[in-house]
Amino acid sequence: MALYNFKKITVVPSAKDFIDLTLSKTQRKTPTVIHKHYQIHRIRHFYMRKVKYTQQNYHDRLTQILTDFPKLDDIHPFYADLMNVLYDKDHYKLALGQINIAKNLIDNVAKDYVRLMKYGDSLYRCKQLKRAALGRMCTIIKRQKQSLEYLEQVRQHLSRLPTIDPNTRTLLLCGYPNVGKSSFINKVTRADVEVQPYAFTTKSLFVGHMDYKYLRWQVVDTPGILDHPLEDRNTIEMQAITALAHLRAAVLYVMDVSEQCGHSLEEQVELFKNIKPLFANKPLIIVANKCDVKRIAELPEESQKIFENFQAEGFSVIETSTLTEEGVIQVKTEACDRLLAHRVDTKMKGNKVNEVLNRLHLAMPTKRDNKERLPFIPEGAVARKKRMEVDTPRRKLERDLELELGDDYVLDLQKYWDLMNSSEKYDKIPEIWEGHNILDYIDPDIMRKLEELEKEEELREAAGEYDSEPESEDEEMMEIRQLAQQIREKKKLKILQSKEKDTRGPRMPRTAKKVQRKVLEQEMTDLGLDMTNKDDAHYVRRSRSVTRKRKRDESETPKSVARSRSSSRTPRDVSGLRDEKMVKKVKTMAKKAQKKMNRLGRRGESDRHIFDLKPKHLLAGKRKSGKTQRR
Amino acid sequence: SIKMHEKRNTKQKNDEKTPKGAVPAYLLDREGQSRAKVLSNMIKQKRKEKAGKWEVPVPKVRAQGETEVLKVIRTGKRKKKAWKRMVTKVCFVGDGFTRKPPKYERFIRPMGLRFKKAHVTHPELKATFCLPILGVKKNPSSPLYTTLGVITKGTVIEVNVSELGLVTQGGKVIWGKYAQVTNNPENDGCINAVLLV
Repeated sequence: MALYNFKKITVVPSAKDFIDLTLSKTQRKTPTVIHKHYQIHRIRHFYMRKVKYTQQNYHDRLTQILTDFPKLDDIHPFYADLMNVLYDKDHYKLALGQINIAKNLIDNVAKDYVRLMKYGDSLYRCKQLKRAALGRMCTIIKRQKQSLEYLEQVRQHLSRLPTIDPNTRTLLLCGYPNVGKSSFINKVTRADVEVQPYAFTTKSLFVGHMDYKYLRWQVVDTPGILDHPLEDRNTIEMQAITALAHLRAAVLYVMDVSEQCGHSLEEQVELFKNIKPLFANKPLIIVANKCDVKRIAELPEESQKIFENFQAEGFSVIETSTLTEEGVIQVKTEACDRLLAHRVDTKMKGNKVNEVLNRLHLAMPTKRDNKERLPFIPEGAVARKKRMEVDTPRRKLERDLELELGDDYVLDLQKYWDLMNSSEKYDKIPEIWEGHNILDYIDPDIMRKLEELEKEEELREAAGEYDSEPESEDEEMMEIRQLAQQIREKKKLKILQSKEKDTRGPRMPRTAKKVQRKVLEQEMTDLGLDMTNKDDAHYVRRSRSVTRKRKRDESETPKSVARSRSSSRTPRDVSGLRDEKMVKKVKTMAKKAQKKMNRLGRRGESDRHIFDLKPKHLLAGKRKSGKTQRR
Repeated sequence: SIKMHEKRNTKQKNDEKTPKGAVPAYLLDREGQSRAKVLSNMIKQKRKEKAGKWEVPVPKVRAQGETEVLKVIRTGKRKKKAWKRMVTKVCFVGDGFTRKPPKYERFIRPMGLRFKKAHVTHPELKATFCLPILGVKKNPSSPLYTTLGVITKGTVIEVNVSELGLVTQGGKVIWGKYAQVTNNPENDGCINAVLLV
């Protein structure tokens, strides 16, 4: 809602400034370097960007203006009317309409020129088009000079309007010029409205705020109204009329009893009668101001009758004097009370109340029994209250004592001790009592003693007093311990050995290495195995007779090929295969894999030689049924 | 030829050349004649007519070559065929204009370059109006451009001047007049013309 955001409307720049601003922004924010020899699409893009950028800027700024300015239909009728009075509704709407048109025109221009630029085939042509486009946009803005100026003035004035909340509690002051409205508001609120002896000192509405019954109240001061028909009223008076017409407030019609304002009482009453229709449905109070100069009682009979008539009609008349402040507070309270009552009434009559009332329920506790239960007030509170009223001197503080004694003062906290036997306060404290050493319970050296004790403990531990005794172990345990010891030593040795090894590059797995016979024998003997018997050993190099015998026995393909590598090697085509069947299968597989290669006549995998680059069956023939699509 | 006959050498009396004093006999009775080519009236008239026929505000225009005005469009599966041309200047097509089937149209006039209105200035009133174009009368560069409707600087176009409310002697309302284009429309994005009164 634009109601309270009149202060946040963006600044409307003047036409010249607007143009300069946008063009310099285009200059700064778009790339500037272009050469004739660039590709045409790049040139086109470059210039199109400039046109679009300028259009964007104008568009954004103008939309901002259009959205920020309040729409007269959207805001509260009080503000709508006020703006109409001050700025002329038609002019305002026209100005905004022109801005809207300008915005659309700029958009169209940019669109057209971008479209044309697509056919630009040289740098010169594109540049000229861009120049034409920017020029046109700027001319459109130049034509809006008047509207922009007007809107800027409206904006400045709008932001200085007083923030009057049309829905809250308000007191409205009205009357002839110079009757004392502004002095009243100065007295009641913190507003500092100018008060001068000439008429129409207040030229516009002013707001002040005050508190009453823990609520915030608005007091609106209006310029004085003269008595002539509505059509003849000028802008200043119209503001007051607008306020009267739209704000639902308590009206304080201020009259000058002493006629110092320059208008007689009859004139003031005339005015009152003329604007009476505006007071419909509003609580009204007649404020007879400047009573320090002349009281109502001092007035002649006819004038007094006027006031009596008012009272008879039901409007309360209160005499005030803003100089002596007499009656001001009375007016305030009366007006506020009546307005509150009126507002409550209106709300009760309205529809919304029922929604709330239906949900409210005041629960009163029912009496349980007839016992009287009075509120409980502790005696201390009563006494304190009494003392406050009587104003007895308070108890003596230490500070007081100190001041009294001066140099002799000793801080004696023992007198505050709370002992069972108060005469013992100043007694000396014993050392042993009932067999217990009091110092045990309160020892100032305790930290030091603790440290000494700890040191002693350390010494004792070092001496081995706390070591556990060696357990009696049986044979088994001894053996196990020995073995464990051996294992540990062996492990350490192996680690050292492996570290000494010079391992660079890829390492062969252990099973691939040849194990030397010596090493094998040595290791096994270390472990305790008997290696002297070499008849059964399978790794020994036998004499020729034995080997030959072996060979004759097993002249066919050996059934088991699981031998150690040091003796006869299996041929490669049967290595790793279990039996004859597997060997056959393997051979057929190998042949099959070679078939394709042989058929294609390729030398190897990387041979991609094509023997027939233009096969006749693909390239001959007419263009029929899709065969030629994939030549 | 007849022309030569008309530009006949007239013999005029040339006083200067007549020698003073004694003159040989064969030179007597001969006054100086200056042979001036006196152009006959007819020729003078004809020349004036020719010059005055098109007294236009922009008399001389740079001729636009075909490479400037028409751009070659390559078509075909392999973009080898180059018989189509696209107009790169602003052009005017009439109201009831419909393209030929795209396969057969030789000259392409893109929609983006088609203009219907021109900003026409009246030389005496010094006022400019935005008037709809009725047609292209003559393009000074080539008759081909005239038929295509290409509008360049110096082209004479016909505009609808009913807006001006001109009336003939007889009381008939003038609604079409010629105007000559004074700017380069493809550079400015608009057609500026001067009315030929």
